[in-house]
Amino acid sequence: MTTIGLPHFLIVGAALFSLGMVTVVTRRNAVGILMGVELILNAANVNFIAFNHYVAAPGTLTGQVFSIFVIVLAAAEAAIGLAIVLAIYQTFHTIDVQETSLLRE
Amino acid sequence: MAEVSPNLRAYLARLAVLGAGLLLLAGAGLAHALGYLPTLPTLLLQYAGVIGVVWGLNGFVFRRLPLSGFLLILFSAAVFGALFFIGYFLQSVAGPFLIDSAGRFIGLVHLADLAFYLLAGMTVAGAAGCAFSRNIIYSAWSLLFAFLGVAGLYIFLGADFPAAAQVLIYVGGILVLILFAIMLTKQIGEDPKLTNAHLGLPFGAALAVATLGTLTYMAVMAPWKIEPAQSWQPVSAGLGIAFLTEYLLPFEVASVVLLAALVGAVIIARKEIKETSDAVLQ
Repeated sequence: MTTIGLPHFLIVGAALFSLGMVTVVTRRNAVGILMGVELILNAANVNFIAFNHYVAAPGTLTGQVFSIFVIVLAAAEAAIGLAIVLAIYQTFHTIDVQETSLLRE
Repeated sequence: MAEVSPNLRAYLARLAVLGAGLLLLAGAGLAHALGYLPTLPTLLLQYAGVIGVVWGLNGFVFRRLPLSGFLLILFSAAVFGALFFIGYFLQSVAGPFLIDSAGRFIGLVHLADLAFYLLAGMTVAGAAGCAFSRNIIYSAWSLLFAFLGVAGLYIFLGADFPAAAQVLIYVGGILVLILFAIMLTKQIGEDPKLTNAHLGLPFGAALAVATLGTLTYMAVMAPWKIEPAQSWQPVSAGLGIAFLTEYLLPFEVASVVLLAALVGAVIIARKEIKETSDAVLQ
């Protein structure tokens, strides 16, 4: 019998969330910041599915349904976010978030 | 007896010490497992064995850093510490050389536990590579390993459909999109090693450590209401039924969101190109 339980997965999720947060906070590259957001969404998904497996009543799939919705929103976020990055690059010719502080051209 | 060159003699000495160190490690471990040796002498003997292995290996690898004297002791201590923690970890997983009261060896390692630790290690290592790499391309490739590890964790939790969706959408879609964005926004002549600069990394690392500590404390200490172990069943049919009955409205809204995101991304990204083509036409 395996000794892996819910806390193991929650700790992995916490590590993913922390690393994603440090990526979002410290990166200067806008694409890097979007990568950090993806890591944070993955951390949330790991927690959703772990809770669904260990805590929810047998046979319920609510956590997995939510994880699918999170994946869908992550795809939409990535498409929009990277399009915005491309628009920023065309306007400022850089995607360094330190230098793109103007709200208009 | 043929003449032995000093080079060959040194080589053989290294090899002999390496073998002796390995023998010492295995013998002390076995003696301890069988109950002939207390813990402290075992540790000392194994430390000596590690020193021998490190010195022997140094003849073949890391030759530009000849280890001797204090440096050898220190390096061996580091290696020994790492090995000790790995062994301790494995023992808490399954006990590699655990023996029950009847004197039989209990199974080596629980394969399921090993699979979890491998997947979790891959995930966290990939995320760490993404967070700390200096090169944005390496960050993207590290993200690949993080996504694949998370997909493996989903399978470990009996969520086959989310795992497939993770591989298809994250690895096949989002990661490719990220790589496209990196390629499209790279200035020519820019040093790729410095495309991923950090800002206030110590502060960020402190924040991450604090968050990780808090969340880990909460995860371990909270009295979760654990259901009895569930069997692993395919979930696709159940998910499909859930999407088309209980979650029908969110499902349709998600479709609209995806369509809006698609159209919006196209419009946002092609604005400037349209203007330049107008300028070219004029």
